[in-house]
Amino acid sequence: MPIVKLVQAKTVESDKRSHPRDLAGLMASLDAPDATARRWAARDLAPFTEAVPALVKRLRIETDTTVREAIFMTLTELGDANIVQSLIKCLHGEEVERRNAAIEVMKHLPDAVAPFMPGLLVDPAPNVRILAVSVLESLRHPDVEKWLIEVISEDSQVNVCATAVDILAEVGTEAAITQLEALKRRFPDEPYILFAADLALQRIGRT
Amino acid sequence: MSPTLKRILIVDDAATVRMYLRSILEGAGYAVEEAINGIEALEKALTLPFDLYLVDVIMPKQDGYGFLRELRRQDIPQAPAVMITTEAESRDQARAFESGANSYMVKPIKPEELLAHCRLLLNAPGDSP
Amino acid sequence: MVDETRITTENFNKFREFFYRKTGIQFEDSKRYFVDKRLIERIEATDSGNFRGYFTLLRFQSGGEELQALTNIMTVNETYFFREEYQFKCLVNSLLPEIVKKKPVDSTLRIWSIPSSSGEEPYSIALYLTEYWPDIAHWDVELIASDIDTRILKEARTGKYSKRSVQHLPADLLRRHFKRTQDGEYQISDDFRQTVEFSRVNLSEPADTRHYRGFDVIFCRNLLIYFDDLSRQKVADALYDALNPGGYICLGHAESMSRITSLFRVRKFPEAIVYQKPEAT
Repeated sequence: MPIVKLVQAKTVESDKRSHPRDLAGLMASLDAPDATARRWAARDLAPFTEAVPALVKRLRIETDTTVREAIFMTLTELGDANIVQSLIKCLHGEEVERRNAAIEVMKHLPDAVAPFMPGLLVDPAPNVRILAVSVLESLRHPDVEKWLIEVISEDSQVNVCATAVDILAEVGTEAAITQLEALKRRFPDEPYILFAADLALQRIGRT
Repeated sequence: MSPTLKRILIVDDAATVRMYLRSILEGAGYAVEEAINGIEALEKALTLPFDLYLVDVIMPKQDGYGFLRELRRQDIPQAPAVMITTEAESRDQARAFESGANSYMVKPIKPEELLAHCRLLLNAPGDSP
Repeated sequence: MVDETRITTENFNKFREFFYRKTGIQFEDSKRYFVDKRLIERIEATDSGNFRGYFTLLRFQSGGEELQALTNIMTVNETYFFREEYQFKCLVNSLLPEIVKKKPVDSTLRIWSIPSSSGEEPYSIALYLTEYWPDIAHWDVELIASDIDTRILKEARTGKYSKRSVQHLPADLLRRHFKRTQDGEYQISDDFRQTVEFSRVNLSEPADTRHYRGFDVIFCRNLLIYFDDLSRQKVADALYDALNPGGYICLGHAESMSRITSLFRVRKFPEAIVYQKPEAT
């Protein structure tokens, strides 16, 4: 007879949350010294649109990645124009991790992001334009192809165009053919552009 | 001459970039694997041996710097890494080297430049044949 | 319509990259027939007309429901005893030895199996612990198994299985721990039925998961792949909270945290890749 030393589970313990879970309590916890408390506060703030400024403020100084991830997740759920503006500020920042996380949140907010997209795509900083194009990768918005076509027709920076062509290989239709061919003529000495444009053209093909 | 191909892991979220790099590297006789971000790259690096990593900076969930920092902490045979980025400023280069990169390339990538980096890093003095 | 739905090579390649990016599942060229067949099935079911229309739906649908439906039919999710046994080996040979090194002697180990489905996974864990973990004599283990579906939980508690479901169990183990029922099925012994605690939990519901804390190991296999991006990030977050610092989470063989979150550390053991909640930061 085997000795089954498995014991029956006891009543599962509840977690300890120090501050009350109302708006004021959660906002206070957002600055708690303990990272777990901050993370839970960030997450539990998801129903409160009033918390957006506090969350964004915290995001700028927060160094713990688990807390940052929770803040980004809550912002995604709250998703409105104010949040997009704060995220755009992150795109202009230097820290790669924060920029990448901002892109991921923006991908989930097609309606809130759409009004800002034309402006972002002509931002003076090429890096910001590249990041804006990266948002289009997964953005579920009907204008994605149109924006990408504008980028490859007008942007002078080869890396911005390169990022856009990559996405056109996935979402491109006949509407993109002329501009893809023009792009090849514009950068005849860039092997990557030629490769990527040909791939996109091949993918568009005829179905 | 060498019976086993040198193995290179491409870490980039853009499918077209991976295909482009793959076509150049396979054409030059390297064996290639791909990963779409730093976490997947680490999973592959822990499972398969690689001779070289080509790492993009901007990727979802874990960026190139984060991947290299994690990779360098692992108790596995380490291999050189090339950071590939669109940013040419010196602070970006410094950050790449601090994270554990051995060299640095700025996009767009030219085939001959890529292969020169690979040859240099794969045949470094002291590297096993 | 005379025109038959057709998937060209370019369609296949485009789909394959998209699906890989979204789910981490990679289809080799040899899977072409398998993939095409299912794509055509969904193109027809959604009245998309052709690949292009269907791909647009997949890529742009706001709720992502079609991607979930497609993932469902692209993955075969059959459950049986000792499925993906390498993970149970990893549990007894690598994870538990590492965990008990850091545990106070009198404490209890806690393992969570979610989704438990009809019980094959949690009972497999129980069987594996009693049969293959020598230290079981020295430790108390709480094994909690949860699922969202109360009907399937009832089946799990009954613990009756078909021949097919138990076919990968060593004969001797089957003989010792199961009894044949009159209708030719196999019922796991009462010892096991009583030691696994079954409960209903919806992982997407914070009110449900709030009371699940302090686990050393979680098995959450072949579940996250069926959620959309944001929901699986939330679920991963809930699992993170449920684990002790240093605790482990095992996903299904086709799954990876790489598409979901960077909260966990990737750990490689001889038997498997496992994700670990970092020790206190």
